[in-house]
Amino acid sequence: MSEVAALVRMSEIGKRYGGVQACREVDFTLGAGEVHALLGENGAGKSTLMKILSGDVTDYDGQIEINGSPVTFNGPTDAQAAGIAMIHQELDLVPGLSVADNIFLGRELRTGWRTVDRRRMDREARALLERSGVNLDPRRPVGELRVGEQQLVTIAKAISLDARVLIMDEPTSALTTSEVERLFVVIRELRRAGVGIVYISHRMEEIAQVADRATVLRNGQKVASFDPRKLSTAEVVEAMVGRPVQTMFTTPDAATGDELLRVEDLALRPRRPRPGRRDPDGISLTVRSGEIVGLAGLLGAGRTELLETLYGVAPGGPRSGRILLQGKEIQPRGPRHALSHGIGFVPEDRRISGLVLFHSILANTVISSVPSYGRLGVIARRLERAASIRMADRLRLKFGRLQDEVGTLSGGNQQKVVFGRMLLTEPRLLLLDEPTRGVDIGAKAEIYRLLGELAGQGLGVLLASSELPELIGVCDRVVVLRDGRDVASFRTADSGEGDLLAAAMGERAVFEEAGGLQ
Amino acid sequence: MRRLQLPLAAAAAAALLVAGCGTTNERTSDQPSAQSSKECKGADGKYVIGMSQANKAEPYRQRMDDDIAAAAKEVPQFEVKFADAAQDNAKQVADVDNYITQQIDLLIISPNEAKPLTAVVKKAFDKGIPVIVLDRKVEGDAYTGFIGGDNVQIGTEAGKYVAEKVLPSGGNVVELKGLAGATPQAERNQGFAAGIAANPKIKVIATASGDWLREKGQAQMDALLKANPKIDVVYAHNDPMAEGAYLAAKAVGREKEMKFIGIDALPIPSGGIKAVEQGRLTATFTYPTNGKEAIAAAKKLLVDCSTIDRAQTLPTRLIDKSNAAQIYTQENPTG
Amino acid sequence: MTDVQDKAATAPTTPTEKSGGVVATLFRFQSVFGLLAVFVAAIIFSPRRDGEILFLSADNLANVVRAVSEIGIIAVGMTFVILIGGIDLSVGAMLGLAAVGSAVLMVESDWGLIPSILVVLLIGLFFGALQGMATAMIGIQSFIVTLAGLQIARGLARIWSDGQGVAIAYGDGPNEAPDSFALLGERTFGGLVPIPVLIFAVVAIAAVIFLRVSAFSRHLYALGGNEKAARLSGVPVIRVKIAVFAICGLLAALAGIVHAVQLNQGSPNDGIGYELDAIAAVVIGGTSLAGGRGSVAGTVAGALLLGVLNNILALNNIDSNIQLLIKGLVIVAAAALQRLRPAS
Repeated sequence: MSEVAALVRMSEIGKRYGGVQACREVDFTLGAGEVHALLGENGAGKSTLMKILSGDVTDYDGQIEINGSPVTFNGPTDAQAAGIAMIHQELDLVPGLSVADNIFLGRELRTGWRTVDRRRMDREARALLERSGVNLDPRRPVGELRVGEQQLVTIAKAISLDARVLIMDEPTSALTTSEVERLFVVIRELRRAGVGIVYISHRMEEIAQVADRATVLRNGQKVASFDPRKLSTAEVVEAMVGRPVQTMFTTPDAATGDELLRVEDLALRPRRPRPGRRDPDGISLTVRSGEIVGLAGLLGAGRTELLETLYGVAPGGPRSGRILLQGKEIQPRGPRHALSHGIGFVPEDRRISGLVLFHSILANTVISSVPSYGRLGVIARRLERAASIRMADRLRLKFGRLQDEVGTLSGGNQQKVVFGRMLLTEPRLLLLDEPTRGVDIGAKAEIYRLLGELAGQGLGVLLASSELPELIGVCDRVVVLRDGRDVASFRTADSGEGDLLAAAMGERAVFEEAGGLQ
Repeated sequence: MRRLQLPLAAAAAAALLVAGCGTTNERTSDQPSAQSSKECKGADGKYVIGMSQANKAEPYRQRMDDDIAAAAKEVPQFEVKFADAAQDNAKQVADVDNYITQQIDLLIISPNEAKPLTAVVKKAFDKGIPVIVLDRKVEGDAYTGFIGGDNVQIGTEAGKYVAEKVLPSGGNVVELKGLAGATPQAERNQGFAAGIAANPKIKVIATASGDWLREKGQAQMDALLKANPKIDVVYAHNDPMAEGAYLAAKAVGREKEMKFIGIDALPIPSGGIKAVEQGRLTATFTYPTNGKEAIAAAKKLLVDCSTIDRAQTLPTRLIDKSNAAQIYTQENPTG
Repeated sequence: MTDVQDKAATAPTTPTEKSGGVVATLFRFQSVFGLLAVFVAAIIFSPRRDGEILFLSADNLANVVRAVSEIGIIAVGMTFVILIGGIDLSVGAMLGLAAVGSAVLMVESDWGLIPSILVVLLIGLFFGALQGMATAMIGIQSFIVTLAGLQIARGLARIWSDGQGVAIAYGDGPNEAPDSFALLGERTFGGLVPIPVLIFAVVAIAAVIFLRVSAFSRHLYALGGNEKAARLSGVPVIRVKIAVFAICGLLAALAGIVHAVQLNQGSPNDGIGYELDAIAAVVIGGTSLAGGRGSVAGTVAGALLLGVLNNILALNNIDSNIQLLIKGLVIVAAAALQRLRPAS
């Protein structure tokens, strides 16, 4: 590394926002063919640093050198021209356009007549996708793909831009295990080709697998740089949060109460089937009061769809099987109905389905429980505020003022707001869909603690997650779904991630399930 | 929260509201007769006249404005402002309100419809502003003078012309009427009915409203043509509608089957006289714009400090093939 | 966590990079500042007679506010609809229908004042609710539903009135409206405030209060902000949508009644284009057409701004075509200002 000029060298980078020093004298280097992981809690400065590298932020202290020569970017296009590509966590794809259209967005290939050359685009897109290890029909609209497939499309797009530097922001947050494997294959390929990759992630196991080096940022400064294979998770987390942290997962008490939820052979045949959905096709499970039950399965196994059916937001159609809440059969007709029965739901994508980003923290917190703050339809502001503050305290929410826009909070705090909203409805059963996706370590730990508390108070929790360690660590039991059916149930005290994965994958090849990928 | 915005907006609104108090709408009973309270400045004064027009899109009314402007040029003491309501009653009320605010010295108005404009005209009159009403009437008598054609008379002449010259042995007539709420429409309709009464073999088989507009006349005529296989005469309350009817008939090849009669006879290239000259219309009746007469009356009131007649009716005249070309040249001395 | 981390987590990342201060304040109250600016401009450009600023004459200001009242009432209703991300193009036609309705019921059918007004208001309410149902339950976009509603209302108005304006004469006999109806018109309340202005003020204040203290308003704003999230949070989406369109229809009918009285006739062709003026007032007032953001106070300021603008252009005898041009530019400017708002 010392003889050859580093591919990217960032020196003494500093950036100030108003009164806040987002980055302070940060040095960061990346070599060709190197995977350099970047860790840190939200607000530590990772995104700012990468925004500077990708040309999004142009006003900063310090210097950037590419291949030894100093560069200044006046905008993202300059950075792209220098071969730097950023793959955001919120994939910026256009759902209505096809895969090929998205890959070549803005640089469409033209025929001699200057019209768009669809056939050539499709061909080249197919080749690119193969290099990314994926066999997708390039004419399919991106909106129909699963999140994991969409992510691979963004990588294909970056490759097509001949990027020499790829910045990946939480690339695996929406991927299943098999897709993560495939991603790593692609990353190894890119390394061999000499591409340098900045890998922003919270997942220690992955970083240990794929990264050469890891750097930890805290409070805008670089606090550690190490070989990820050598350091333990606990030590890394300590570096990130600045204080020793007990094991993240609390061992939940096995003291559970009466049966709260019983699902008997639930199946749904929607009147208008939508592509990409796997509605329940014969699921049975139970959740007791005080129990945290996990839902495991590969992407497309039907976890989200089951939760939606229980909450009453599944598409209409004949239903078979029964749902019983505390012994009484219910037919959830919609969110209001479900809430009135004490069922709460935290959806998978908080930005799209969970929050009104430009509304205040207060508004987002009280919206499900509005009638309880007044009488005859007239609401007392101070009751709303009191409830909001109470909930914020309980959840240890980090915020400025109640009237700040909720979109300004970090991912973890946003998730807490959605939690808080549901908790204010005093639910008996909580349905959670990927509750810690895109949430930093500190907030994750707090959410786990909260779940433990809620279970201790007698709530039942049904938790769908793709993070196997999370399932094993937090839940009492895990039910594994496959193709819309429950196929296995494990007590977490007696099992491990391998058991879950095996059951999730079953005997059928992963690839067929995900739609014929290589 | 927008804590400040509400009080600020409320303050602004309140300020305007409070200013809205003390409106002098209702002081009518207190004020003595308007004209005598102002001292007449006569030829020494400078006068601003406000002309409130109903709809400049109608060629007749554009000509009315032009005639007023031309006549006013001859009077050095006069400055005339023009406003157009584009067939919107509420806008015309606002136009007159604005003239009152600007403290004009005299109001000339051709109202879009009688009833909606009566109140605001009365308001101006009660404030001491002399009001000359042109061509269309308002209700009541809160105005200084009315100048217009006798629309009943014109309608009767048209009716008699059809009864005696065009269809002496009877036939089918289709009538295209003007805008409903304007007085000329009712009068021209009424007069025509009286004019053809003598000949029971003439029947008005259908009527439609063209709102004084050519396009509307054409559209209505399209429908009438489809519904009525035999039409002998089209009687339109104004020339643009008659022309529109002609175009509709021509489009289906039936223009030779019937005769077209209009009213207005504007001496402009696109007007009724030329249309008669060129054979599209069989006849039209002059309906003077009264622009010249309006300024003359204004002059009498303001400059001469005298009075005018309450109602001034101008006569009409038949234009047909025999005199069209001659009259046209007469009315356009410069060509 | 430390303060620094908090702030870093909430650091603005927009080009302006100011998280407060003069600029943000200007944006938040843009409609009120706009109104003040136009007001001052009106004073400056007002014609003068004998040293008196004509714009500020009591009579003129009264005219301005009175002229704004009808559009203002409609715009308040329109604010509700736009707040949920919808639009109602039928309000002008509803005004015509209501004007005709009040005239016909009172004059030709000889009903009393209260029953006539109640029936007309109910017509507006139901018509609006029907539009709301079509949009909420069948899922047709409000633009299309209310475009159809516009034609239907206009047609109904023409049928009910036989295509002509229905004149309103006052008195006690048959075919005459009760004198009390005239009271609603140009005359003033207590000799001070013109009644249409009073009605506008009452409607606006009621709406502002409603949008602050009611449970409904929380649901409404959430629905406009993110329909999917609102639905999942238990907001009764369909009910709110229907209610919002019903309110808009009701207020348009109210405006129609005021209109009939002001012009002493109920004409089926009145109100054409009023929906656009109402939408303009809402947009200038700072309410976002995407929904979830805005206020009735802003709409009131926007309506007054347009009224003052109209007035000062008319007083200076600017050609009415140029007036249209200027109005259009103001609307674009207001909408553009909204886009430039700093994100936080």
